[in-house]
Amino acid sequence: MNTVPFPYSFLTISPNPQLCTKNPVFFPPTKPNPQLCIKSPIFFTSSAKRCYSKSRTKRRSLFSVSCLIMDKEAPVEEGLSVVDKVQILALEFRSLSEPIDRVKRLLHYASILPPLSESAKVQENRVMGCTTQVWLEVRMDKRGSMRFRVDSDSEITKGFCSCLIWLLDGAEPEEILSVTAEDLADMNVGLPRKGRSRVNTWHNVLFSMQNRTQDCVQERNRAALSLEDFHSLVIKPHGSYLESEFGHWCMSEFTRAIRQNDYRDGCTRK
Amino acid sequence: MITTTSTTMEGAILKLPCLRTVSRNPNFTSRSSGSLRWRSRPLHVSASAASSPSLINDTKIGPGSLGHITRSDFPILHQEINGSKLVYLDNAATSQKPTAVINALQNYYEAYNSNVHRGIHYLSAKATDEYESARQKVANFINAAGAREIVFTRNATEAINLVAYSWGLSNLKPGDEIITTVAEHHSAIVPWQLVAQKTGAVLRFVNLTEDEVADVDQLRGFLSRKTKLLVIHHVSNMLASVLPMDEVISWAHDVGAKVLVDACQSVPHMVVDVKTLDADFLVASSHKMCGPTGVGFLYGKSEILSAMPPFLGGGEMIADVYLDHSTYAEPPSRFEAGTPAIGEAIGLGAAIDYLSEIGMQQIHDYEMELANYLYDNLSSVSDVRIYGPAPSQTVTRAALCSFNVKDVHPTDIATFLDQQHGVAIRSGHHCAQPLHRHLGISSSARASLHFYNTKDDVDRFIEALKDTISFFTSFK
Repeated sequence: MNTVPFPYSFLTISPNPQLCTKNPVFFPPTKPNPQLCIKSPIFFTSSAKRCYSKSRTKRRSLFSVSCLIMDKEAPVEEGLSVVDKVQILALEFRSLSEPIDRVKRLLHYASILPPLSESAKVQENRVMGCTTQVWLEVRMDKRGSMRFRVDSDSEITKGFCSCLIWLLDGAEPEEILSVTAEDLADMNVGLPRKGRSRVNTWHNVLFSMQNRTQDCVQERNRAALSLEDFHSLVIKPHGSYLESEFGHWCMSEFTRAIRQNDYRDGCTRK
Repeated sequence: MITTTSTTMEGAILKLPCLRTVSRNPNFTSRSSGSLRWRSRPLHVSASAASSPSLINDTKIGPGSLGHITRSDFPILHQEINGSKLVYLDNAATSQKPTAVINALQNYYEAYNSNVHRGIHYLSAKATDEYESARQKVANFINAAGAREIVFTRNATEAINLVAYSWGLSNLKPGDEIITTVAEHHSAIVPWQLVAQKTGAVLRFVNLTEDEVADVDQLRGFLSRKTKLLVIHHVSNMLASVLPMDEVISWAHDVGAKVLVDACQSVPHMVVDVKTLDADFLVASSHKMCGPTGVGFLYGKSEILSAMPPFLGGGEMIADVYLDHSTYAEPPSRFEAGTPAIGEAIGLGAAIDYLSEIGMQQIHDYEMELANYLYDNLSSVSDVRIYGPAPSQTVTRAALCSFNVKDVHPTDIATFLDQQHGVAIRSGHHCAQPLHRHLGISSSARASLHFYNTKDDVDRFIEALKDTISFFTSFK
């Protein structure tokens, strides 16, 4: 096994611990994952499917892809920031020098993305501006984290989406808004690396996720402000003052995140 | 002058109906909307058992063909993409540029770059001469009465918008009808939606026939004294169908309607004569006809252009400007506000010189052979559904095929063809969403040819497509 030394501790976690590869850029240098198959790459044709299907039943116990398996309230991965994940994913795709390997990798990720129910594939959930059809469900959970589900009629697009889900599902709004399209440039498969494009579903889905995250945050803040108005009627002055301060802090943090991000959205906003 | 030989037809091919299975791919539906039935498609099975003649003259597209001869004029074609020799089959989106056009652009910027019309110095005079010469070349190319009937625009889209906002807003009133088809490019639909909203005019859409061609009989039935404008494609950018434009235009004129022809897919590939067609307006883009991007043109009959108000205000389009009003220049200057795309227009002139030297009839004849070869080979690939009419002795198709493959998304196909084989095709809705919706699909793949493509390009594409299908099938 040709291990590549990486000084970063976050490399102990793979975006997909099911991966079998000869070039384990993202392999754990200190804590080998027992799920890894290292003799042959997982993504090569039928053996890949076999390898995947054998381990499929164990997926739920593997924390690093747990966000891909969202039922009602999928567990949120702890200890790995979105920034960490972006770097892991970039390393992973940079290690694949052959275009066909990147396509195969995306098809694998597509295969592990849970399908969206037909009832969710409605016009309101469409990510517009893409050459493929993409449906995105977004909600904010009780902890204020963002939860995403996504599907597409294109397998390669679904692979992109699967990566985005791994990156962003369960993340805080500020983290989601801090990701830029440039951060994801290394994952592109033959798509324009910079700027907007009708075919760049990868970018469009990211922007749509960010757009709708912004909507959720605004909705939450509106609700919080309404609650504050209510409390001001019944709570002593010093209590309402603290809540008000907290509300302002939330808004300022959110605004800062927006400003830091070169926020663009060519997709039709719902 | 480039010449190709023409010989008798060889290798006749028998066409038999091909039975296909029901598709699960939403992009892969049968012709009848709402139905999952397959329409029989011709399958070429044997040359020796032929009972009907082949549409392909193989000697025309073999070695020494127009494509083989002209390839060397296009430097961009001689490169590798993702480790494979480039096969460029996205010509309906944009064409490649011959060295002559690239040189014309370079020469303009190196030797006489200057603003047109207003300078008296040598460079400006030279630039003005070349710019206006390009206008005359366009006029000659489509047989307009004169250069005054040619307005340079940014592209065909802007040309259509010019007509919509200038002629449309000043000539349409509530109850008037604009007739177009479901097969139009978005640029020929959206401006008229906007104008209809502003004027109260009604937009009516002609459907397709069973053969997937705009239904000209239905169109004829739509025409009435209410009809003020017919907006229609000459050649469909998705269906590859060619409409009988001279007939259609005469029907529209019989009821007093004007006709705007979207000739983006015809002018680069065949002889287009606006006098014979008797078109009132005709639009095309430079970049689809081997010219630079950033320039297109509107042809308009002189008397119609003269009666139209300006579209954009600014320099060049005025006669005199006062603080409270302005008087406008005569066409075409009236419609060319601001500094135009001078180098690009000159490049378009060079492209027209290049195409004219080959001969548009020669280009058309060669492309027809290549179109049939593409159609026949593509239709023989399993699980492929091609849109538009089937070619026959009486039905010609343009040299493009929009298609879908059962259970594989067209964008996945296009991505794999590019990444693994260096084959450039297009996927998506090709700016024709209403047409895709009408066909019951959301997107399609499209391979489109130009005269510098060869039979080898088609062969490479077909082999690559088979490999692509096999690849995705192995992942299911």
